[in-house]
Amino acid sequence: MKKMKWFASTVLAGAMIATLVVTAGCSQKETLNLYSWADNFDPDVIKDFEKKYDVTVNYAVFANNEDLLAKLKAGGSKYDVIQPSDYMVATMIQQDLLEPLNKDNIPNWNNISSHFKNLPYDKDNKYSIVYTSGVTGIAYNKKYVKGEITSWSDLWKPEFKDKVLLLDDMREVIGMGLKKNGFSNSSTNENEIKKSVDDIKQLLPSVLAFDTDNIKQKLIAEEGWIGTVWSGDAAYIAAQNPDIAYVIPKEGSTIFSDNYAIPKGAKNKDLAEKFINFMLDPEVSAKNYESIGYSDPNEKAKPFHSPEYQANKMINLSNDEFARTEWLMDVGKTLQVYDRYWTEIKSGRE
Amino acid sequence: MKQKTNPLLSIHAYLVMAFIYLPVLMILIFSFNNSRINSTWEGFTFKWYGSLFQNRNVMDALMNSLTIAFTSTVIATVLGTVAALALRNAVRKSKTVLGMLYLPIVVPDIIMGLSLLLLFSQFHFPLGKWTIIIAHVTFSISYVYVIVASRISGMGKQLEEAAQDLGASPWQTFRYITLPAIWPGVLAGAIMAFTLSIDDFMISFFVAGPDSTTLPIYIYGLVKRGISPEINALCTIMIIVSVGLILIAQWLQNKGNRGKKASTLPF
Repeated sequence: MKKMKWFASTVLAGAMIATLVVTAGCSQKETLNLYSWADNFDPDVIKDFEKKYDVTVNYAVFANNEDLLAKLKAGGSKYDVIQPSDYMVATMIQQDLLEPLNKDNIPNWNNISSHFKNLPYDKDNKYSIVYTSGVTGIAYNKKYVKGEITSWSDLWKPEFKDKVLLLDDMREVIGMGLKKNGFSNSSTNENEIKKSVDDIKQLLPSVLAFDTDNIKQKLIAEEGWIGTVWSGDAAYIAAQNPDIAYVIPKEGSTIFSDNYAIPKGAKNKDLAEKFINFMLDPEVSAKNYESIGYSDPNEKAKPFHSPEYQANKMINLSNDEFARTEWLMDVGKTLQVYDRYWTEIKSGRE
Repeated sequence: MKQKTNPLLSIHAYLVMAFIYLPVLMILIFSFNNSRINSTWEGFTFKWYGSLFQNRNVMDALMNSLTIAFTSTVIATVLGTVAALALRNAVRKSKTVLGMLYLPIVVPDIIMGLSLLLLFSQFHFPLGKWTIIIAHVTFSISYVYVIVASRISGMGKQLEEAAQDLGASPWQTFRYITLPAIWPGVLAGAIMAFTLSIDDFMISFFVAGPDSTTLPIYIYGLVKRGISPEINALCTIMIIVSVGLILIAQWLQNKGNRGKKASTLPF
């Protein structure tokens, strides 16, 4: 009869777990449903927030902006704070998926550096507040790359054959070509695009791989010598491999951001705003960004950051470098042209 | 009489095994790697196994996965077993009904996920743990049914009829005769359902809500930041546990079948 007891206890345990799930769902504590990139916050900071306001934070993760958009559009899931990238903020505003932010509840918004207020994708910060930002630059290994790298055209040097890494991203790659030739990274002029794409095709024999997810590993393991890398990733790579240097090319480059936003119909809008305000507190944000190693747009947080963090040029851009950056804009119907050329670029290689 | 096999054939067999198990072996090896980066080896360490249990995000995801797997397994096992018993006594087994029970096994996950999502949003059912549990029950029932039904078909009715002749009530017959006899099958089905639930990404991905980030969803989300070695450690533990569970399921399935032809799981 042992077996029967075992069976009974299994069923009982199952029933108990089931009730646990249900009761956890309707516990008295207020919950904040956060939907963001994986490991995008210092877990201790989230814990501090939970303690301070006596709430629970549900931290769900998405892998890319399109997943986030799909989830919001499917409805049914009640998220309070989401973290779309710059172009996705524009898309979401267009599709009426975001709740306007009440700035009275987010006084710490004023702490943000003027570089990151009123950005082109959300002109008056009506719907979004920047969380972190980065630029696309060139990372290279000083052991193999002799001489100084200053320009996108350095990637074309013949000695880097089979050692160049490019991001696997249509707008990044074509945008880089446009920048190299002195055009806007969001050009809608077909001649400009064609000229840049022809240029990129010249680069193809040198390209080791188009890769976004593993580009870090490839540079750290020195499979590739030089490549287009986001500044936050560059900081990570340099921490693992001290031979890595990073430069924002003189022709300028693309800047991007992740943001806080509140989706339409969020249940806990007040708590969501409290959360954003909490995260923008100078001390809190210093703790948070030190831990995750991203660039902190919070001007008032500077004194709380460690000297190492402040000295890191990949995390803190100079004003000169800022002046050279450009946001990616919606290119409307020209997107089809980009798509076509991107296919040509990728199939020319594979 | 021992049959001679072509040595090339066994080489081929080893190659196939290597092809299947090499990737798994890589994760296992790199879970002991001292470096944060998967591509370089920097010495042996156990530290990721320690820090794994300190990582709140991973632990939360693991808890979600386990809660969902346990709950959906219990529900699916009960329902699947009942279905198998009910259809056994059906006078004329309708091919359509049987076919429909197998259907969730062959329907692509992406279609299951999408259709469940449509259903839930149609009825304004809030997405979360319960929607994932329901989804997992939906496909697990079929597996439980297949396993339990194969057990029942090999059982025969004599024992139950004897019990009823001796005055046992239907409930007593079920409890003391039928259930113990099919028990290995039920348990095997339950273990199968549990492993499927823990593994599932595609369907969970569609119907997940704010409080229900399961381990596979979390790991998928990590691709942007880079998979941490703690995940390698966790995967290693999970592979070992899954393999153990599958082996137990196989063993239970074959137990009591000794002498007859050994029936293995149909997949």
